[in-house]
Amino acid sequence: MPPVEIWVDGLTQSCIFMTMAFGMVLVFSILGILNWAHGQLFMLGAFVAFYAITAAAIPFPVGILLGGLLVAALGIVIKKFVIDRIGNELYIGVATLALIFTLEGAATMIFGSDDRGLAAVLPGVYTMAGSTISYQKLAVIAFTLVVMAAMYFVLNRTKVGLAIRAVAQEPEAASLSGISTQRLSLIVMGIGCALAGMAGAIMSPIYPINPFIGRAPMIMALLAIVIGGLGSLRGAIAGGLILGFLHSVIAYYISYLSEVVLFILVILILLVKPQGLFGESAK
Amino acid sequence: MNKKRCVTMTLVMVFMLLGFCSSAALAAEEPIMIDVAVINPMSGPAGPWGQIGVPAYDAWLALFNQEGFRVNGKLYNFRSHTYDSMNTPEGGAAAAKRAIFEDKIKFIVGHWDTSFLAVSAITNKNKVILIARNGNEAVPGGAYSPKKMPYVVFGTPSHERFISDIMSIAAANPEYKRIGIYDSTLGKGIGWDYVDDHLTAAGVRFHHEWYPPGTKDMTAYITRFKEAGCDILYGAGDVLAAMMITKQRWDMGLKYIKTGTAGGLLTPQMYIDVSGYDASQGFLAQYAAPWEYKNTKVNPKFIQMCKKAQEMASKKIGKPFTYTAWTDWGPTHLQILSQAMEKADSVDDPDKIMTAIRGGTFDTNAGKYTMSGEKTYGSPIVFGTAGAISMIKGDKEVYFSESPWKPIP
Repeated sequence: MPPVEIWVDGLTQSCIFMTMAFGMVLVFSILGILNWAHGQLFMLGAFVAFYAITAAAIPFPVGILLGGLLVAALGIVIKKFVIDRIGNELYIGVATLALIFTLEGAATMIFGSDDRGLAAVLPGVYTMAGSTISYQKLAVIAFTLVVMAAMYFVLNRTKVGLAIRAVAQEPEAASLSGISTQRLSLIVMGIGCALAGMAGAIMSPIYPINPFIGRAPMIMALLAIVIGGLGSLRGAIAGGLILGFLHSVIAYYISYLSEVVLFILVILILLVKPQGLFGESAK
Repeated sequence: MNKKRCVTMTLVMVFMLLGFCSSAALAAEEPIMIDVAVINPMSGPAGPWGQIGVPAYDAWLALFNQEGFRVNGKLYNFRSHTYDSMNTPEGGAAAAKRAIFEDKIKFIVGHWDTSFLAVSAITNKNKVILIARNGNEAVPGGAYSPKKMPYVVFGTPSHERFISDIMSIAAANPEYKRIGIYDSTLGKGIGWDYVDDHLTAAGVRFHHEWYPPGTKDMTAYITRFKEAGCDILYGAGDVLAAMMITKQRWDMGLKYIKTGTAGGLLTPQMYIDVSGYDASQGFLAQYAAPWEYKNTKVNPKFIQMCKKAQEMASKKIGKPFTYTAWTDWGPTHLQILSQAMEKADSVDDPDKIMTAIRGGTFDTNAGKYTMSGEKTYGSPIVFGTAGAISMIKGDKEVYFSESPWKPIP
């Protein structure tokens, strides 16, 4: 049995993967596109939090929200001025691929390519039976739970959430019943991008920050979506949880072979359940 | 013609003759340039490592050329050309081809990146002398072969240097429990067997961990090191991993664990920025400041040159230039090369120069060492190392310990 540190680390990684995956699936289920630049929005969220804390001395939770808000605004701009003007799904995919390099290049020009880091915002550890759990990681887990609870509330207890679910299930019927799909798609794009930005901001005190940090979480989020079932919000959460734990536990047991084993396991899951764990939701 | 006029004319002619002779002598003192190539990453992720030492290297070369060196009575200088390898085999090969075939360069110095095999394949075939570091691909039993690579010499023995680092750290921390050695799977290879054999023979307690390249979350590896009883973690040169291990072990409350990495500190501030001020204190790294060595004797003239070059570099960049690793790469290799040319009485016969290098003793910024390694490498072509270690104290890099490398059998 791995020690507590490994379980907590797995849960921390899960939090990042599932927040990213949730945002991607939300956008996919309403707009029908995979935003390949989702990882770069994660990176921008981390930079916003970094500068909010170091340059403006803004408290960390506010920095996370600010990261989410600014990245949401950027997402809306991308939706309105890039995605809406292209139309064709294939070309939109290519455009979001191009955005990867555009955003990374712009970030390199603005922030430079050097690594940066934030000291732990909540320093200190909780010691339990010889194991140590950092408060910072507990904060990441707590904040992610709050974000997920807020998302559950928005999607299930508000009119906007009802409209989003309606559009996801029957876009034409939803449109006929007075829902502005255009406006709703902007809101969804904003929420999806905000989640990526907040995931980046949340992890900024734990990992390094540079213009290229979005690539690995993006791949992991995609894997989480595939494991959970394309288009399934529950699947994104489950996939993120599975990947985070596997990543940490496998690394603990077999260190350098961890990524090989991780991806073999993902293939095995897909061989057993090609549609993903919650694949039926994608229909 | 009266007598007075005759004397005056004679004097004028004598002075003219003297003037002509002296100007001819001065013309003969004009140094002859020998072109050398430096092939290293100047762009991409490893670009900062290639670029950071350039101001000091250029300043040092200008100082070196003020005196130059003599071969067969003629005065020579080095002219250095830099080529970007982009830290890839194909980039290194392209740079080597350009240097050798277009620019007709016969000597490559200061090479340290991952393009060693690609570059050495081209240099050997064309009898171009390559002074490089050894590494995972160039250790006994590895890809290196003195027969296949007769024009390769290891002026910077990275593997022996790593062993020296560990010995130095162990000696300075006699109460240590176990030293954890971390490296990415990219570095996993036969070279580590060589290192492990030396460390085991020396009675060093150590434990290895390998992580996939680019790993940012080191929790699993730090936990394994903790369980193995490690209280010092020293890496093989992956800066990001070093920064993450330093930060995350601190965040995990394992403050008793010291951390460090092979390779010089670019700047202490870089670690402070990413890992945090407190977590970075005591961080260990390779140190190449000859003016600080306590166990390695360095020619005072060379120490002065290095210090002067640091000052010139500081003036050029407009702030204190604190990076020191440049001293024992390019400059040391040029010192070996120039002294070998003097001994060989040749600047253009690679066989004569290589004969002088193999087993030769050279006086450099890293100390005075004899090329050794006949039994280990099949040819005496490995240069020693000062094996000094620094640590971060406050926002400065300061001397920590030293374990000069003894000649390899």
